Amino acid sequence: MSNENATTKGNVLQTGQQKKKGNSLLNLLASNTVPIMFIIICAVCIPISGFSPAYLINEILTRMGRNTFLILALLIPIMAGMGLNFGMTLGAMAAEIGLIFVSDWQIYGIPGMVLAMIISIPISMLLGLICGKILNAAKGREMVASYIISFFINGIYQLIVLYMMGSIIPIKHTTVKLPRGYGIRNTVSLLNMRQKLDDLLAINVKGVKIPVATFIVIGLLCLFIVWFRKTKLGQDMRAVGQDMEVARDAGIDVERTRIISILMSTVIAGFGMVIYLQNMGNLSTYSSHSQIGMFAIAALLVGGASVDKASIGNVFLGVTLFHLMFIVAPSAGAKITGDSMIGEYFRVFVSYAVITIALIMYETKKRREKSQMAELLAAEQEADA
Amino acid sequence: MKNKITKRMLLFRCGTIALLLLIAGLMFIVGRGHTVYFDNKKVSYDGKSIDTPPYRIDVYVNDERVAKLSAGDRGMCSWMGQDFRMRMEITKEKGGKKQIANVALKIPYNMDGIVLNLPALLAGFPQDGYLTEFVPAPAEVTAEDEEIVTDEFGLEGLDDGMEE
Repeated sequence: MSNENATTKGNVLQTGQQKKKGNSLLNLLASNTVPIMFIIICAVCIPISGFSPAYLINEILTRMGRNTFLILALLIPIMAGMGLNFGMTLGAMAAEIGLIFVSDWQIYGIPGMVLAMIISIPISMLLGLICGKILNAAKGREMVASYIISFFINGIYQLIVLYMMGSIIPIKHTTVKLPRGYGIRNTVSLLNMRQKLDDLLAINVKGVKIPVATFIVIGLLCLFIVWFRKTKLGQDMRAVGQDMEVARDAGIDVERTRIISILMSTVIAGFGMVIYLQNMGNLSTYSSHSQIGMFAIAALLVGGASVDKASIGNVFLGVTLFHLMFIVAPSAGAKITGDSMIGEYFRVFVSYAVITIALIMYETKKRREKSQMAELLAAEQEADA
Repeated sequence: MKNKITKRMLLFRCGTIALLLLIAGLMFIVGRGHTVYFDNKKVSYDGKSIDTPPYRIDVYVNDERVAKLSAGDRGMCSWMGQDFRMRMEITKEKGGKKQIANVALKIPYNMDGIVLNLPALLAGFPQDGYLTEFVPAPAEVTAEDEEIVTDEFGLEGLDDGMEE
């Protein structure tokens, strides 16, 4: 009887494994739908756009230097099972406050960037702490909660920047301050730190500018993330990300670990925003941060990441594909329809569509895995009986 | 044991904060930017005067020409830090020979904009004679302030529609 049972159980497992093998290609395609879709879009749009390879490489490298640091900020909360951190906008706001001060104090170049980053740290930490505490109270709904928190903090940011700066918080220069005597102008010039990091150690290869220093900074953050995963805290975060209850039973302070992950993400996002804005050369005081989280998340998802799994490779693939689409879509749209605005609309709706598709796919995958597990368990129980 | 770790952690945190403050202070000094204006204009100071400024002065900062000044002209450049260095190519008269002068001077930290009168500097006037603070003209007070755009939801249009 026990032999028969063992054979039946073995058969069930074998059939399951064969099915799994047969579906592996399909699964691979299914789990990489978004990157594949983007590769196809880019492959179609690149020849239509008519851009030269040198131009495209130049643009991609510039945008990679500008955005990668910000996108890397998303990895740590994903590791801790908190999903896509829409609250990275908080770090961006902290960085903007730092940049406003630096601009008013007339600190130029890389020292200005470093000072803005240092100023952003305590603000990012405070905002990250608030965000982390709220997200702990909204377990399982972290993404929507962090999305709404970013709107809430945006209101406070506007209150500070629009009414308190210049009246309570001293702002001296009229180039920064509104003519009415308080509040910050719509645009603050960062001309004196524009591309200072990108130009540092930059090399030019056949008309393609490689911002070496920016890539070194990005590389250092990548190394930090790789190292951090191996630390005790990093392991704790992974454990919390896999199963909070098991992690709690293992003696991990789940709440504290989750707060630290959001705090780190917010601080890194602040640094990323400084790098992003030094590349742009100006700061749109009331709107620079508003879409940054959305585009960073879209880029990460385009790279094949999901709500619960993301790697450094996903970041680089995502930023390349997403921004390639951003570069070629308006021109391709103009060539196809005669109106460049079509391409503009296309790239914006694609960004939102990617996030939507990724979220749907994540939910579908989770449900499918649950039902597969249930099926396997039922089969095993049947075999045991 | 726990106390020991807390002490170590506290020390580490204090050290990190101190280090960050130190770096911030350093950046504050090193990165202080100034706008330097160059005047090739006539000048008088303490009873002495220069009525005919040189025909032309080319100003080079960091090996880059930042100003090409005929008599009566003003040029400008941005400079980071307080140790300002420049090279001047001076042509005293039209068709005359170029003279080169290398100048290094200290810029006061508290001044955002500095006006250097180059003929006075070349004539060896004291600092007060060639260096003055640039004071921007007061902006005209306009009734209309800059319109602030904070409406990321695009709700302004909706309000109009609802009123109708």
